[in-house]
Amino acid sequence: MSEFAITIDSLEKSFPRAHSGWRAFLQPFASPSLPALRGISLQVRPGEALALLGTNGAGKSTLLRILATLLLPTRGTAVVAGFDSAREPAAVRRHLGYHAGSDLGFYARLTGGENLRFFGRLNHLSDSFLRTRIPALAEQFELGSALDRQVRTLSSGTIQRLSLLRALLHRPKVLLLDEPTRSLDALAAADFRRFLKEEVLEQEGTSLLFASHTLSEIELLANRVAILKEGNLVALDTPAALRSRSRASSLEEAFSRLTGHSARSLEEPAAS
Amino acid sequence: MIRVLRDFLLFFQRDLRIASTYRGPFVLELVEALFGAAMFYYVARFVDSPQLREALPQGTTYFAYSLVGFVFFDYLHAALDSFDRTLEEARDTGTLEPLLVTQVSLPVILVGSATYPFAVTTLRIAVYLGWGSALFGFPLRSANWLSVLVVLVATLLSFSGLGIFSSAYLLLFKRGNPSKWFFLGISSVVGGMLFPVSILPPWLQVVAHLNPVTYALEAMRAALLQGASLSAIAKPLLILFVFALGLLPTSILTFSWALQRTKITGTLSHR
Repeated sequence: MSEFAITIDSLEKSFPRAHSGWRAFLQPFASPSLPALRGISLQVRPGEALALLGTNGAGKSTLLRILATLLLPTRGTAVVAGFDSAREPAAVRRHLGYHAGSDLGFYARLTGGENLRFFGRLNHLSDSFLRTRIPALAEQFELGSALDRQVRTLSSGTIQRLSLLRALLHRPKVLLLDEPTRSLDALAAADFRRFLKEEVLEQEGTSLLFASHTLSEIELLANRVAILKEGNLVALDTPAALRSRSRASSLEEAFSRLTGHSARSLEEPAAS
Repeated sequence: MIRVLRDFLLFFQRDLRIASTYRGPFVLELVEALFGAAMFYYVARFVDSPQLREALPQGTTYFAYSLVGFVFFDYLHAALDSFDRTLEEARDTGTLEPLLVTQVSLPVILVGSATYPFAVTTLRIAVYLGWGSALFGFPLRSANWLSVLVVLVATLLSFSGLGIFSSAYLLLFKRGNPSKWFFLGISSVVGGMLFPVSILPPWLQVVAHLNPVTYALEAMRAALLQGASLSAIAKPLLILFVFALGLLPTSILTFSWALQRTKITGTLSHR
């Protein structure tokens, strides 16, 4: 791995304006004109946890999706484990675990175990490795019974935990999580955070970049916090340094002072 | 190459497992195939005449001719449908993005996901012909099975290109593909499904000869109904492979370009 697990340099991303009526037919060919990321630069060190904090539309998911090779940047570069996400997407995906924060993404008629084996095999993991890895992770996630049940019968929170388990199956060097505890109840969320901190960050040394609206989660997990506002990186530092820089007593207050948004705006439902 | 084949097998096993959770449709398809074969048999009896027999290849009954045309058309339908239906399902169930962050490329995902529908269509064709042979005298014994197999492969390759084009359209425009329906419509008239191309007006015959369906049906009828050897059907086979050679690479390039566009516009998972 290179010096940094993730290197983002002058990253810009714009989307085309949405058209309706007959002009929607030309949408696939429209030139990108709406900026979502405006020249972001940051690095994540190996084993570090960096949180992305911002209101909806700040560019957190766009940034994660570029790193996950699901979007192409308009300008600039995003390098994961030494590989450029735009030019070497297959190499990037070898080192990457990605959880989009959704409870979709599984075959409803297959069991949890069948789904995990299928995705594990697509990551070229052997059957014998999966036979031990899946039950071991399932035990940590308390997903034992979900492995034998069809996904359509599982609760939203259980499916989300399955999705997190899937992201960790191939022991990725870099883990990208988009609001990882969004659908989990308070107890499951706390367990998951503990698992992330103790098992993934401290034991396996995985680098973590995650977007979250939950400030307590960020305080617990993140070594540093990147605050985004309308596609700009307005601050990047440790939670303590952010608090002292903005003379705030909490991360919530620091966020408000640095962005001009109230911390309550973090909890507003997604606009898009 | 072996890894790609293994990946294809994974998709096939996935779809087989999903299909095995629905037991009813398989039995219904068997029954449907029986009714379908019976319908063609009685229509053929109704329209049979010396003039009709004269227009068909020697020794071929209209029942055998139309049944091959009908079931084989199913293949075209599967080719055009399988790829974009796979993509649409993955997008709508939210599995597209998890698939795309694995180490398997989208073309492999697409082709792998089409293996099961193709296998099912092949099986359905076999069931139709089986009913036709067992109950209505379809001349299955005269088939040259090696030729049948080669025609199937050639057809699969050339029709798949059309299916991949269709998926590229779906990636870009999100909804059903008008060119697919146009192609199916054209092929049902000029492809030689239920009547020989030779009865069409000359200008439509020109259109027919630009269509791979015409050659696929010509070769398949010769192999199945007349036991034609590979050398006897070399011409339509060669044309089918030429179609495949032209369509497959251009469709994959078009699809890759469409995928890049959706990664630029951020519409990969949009409906």
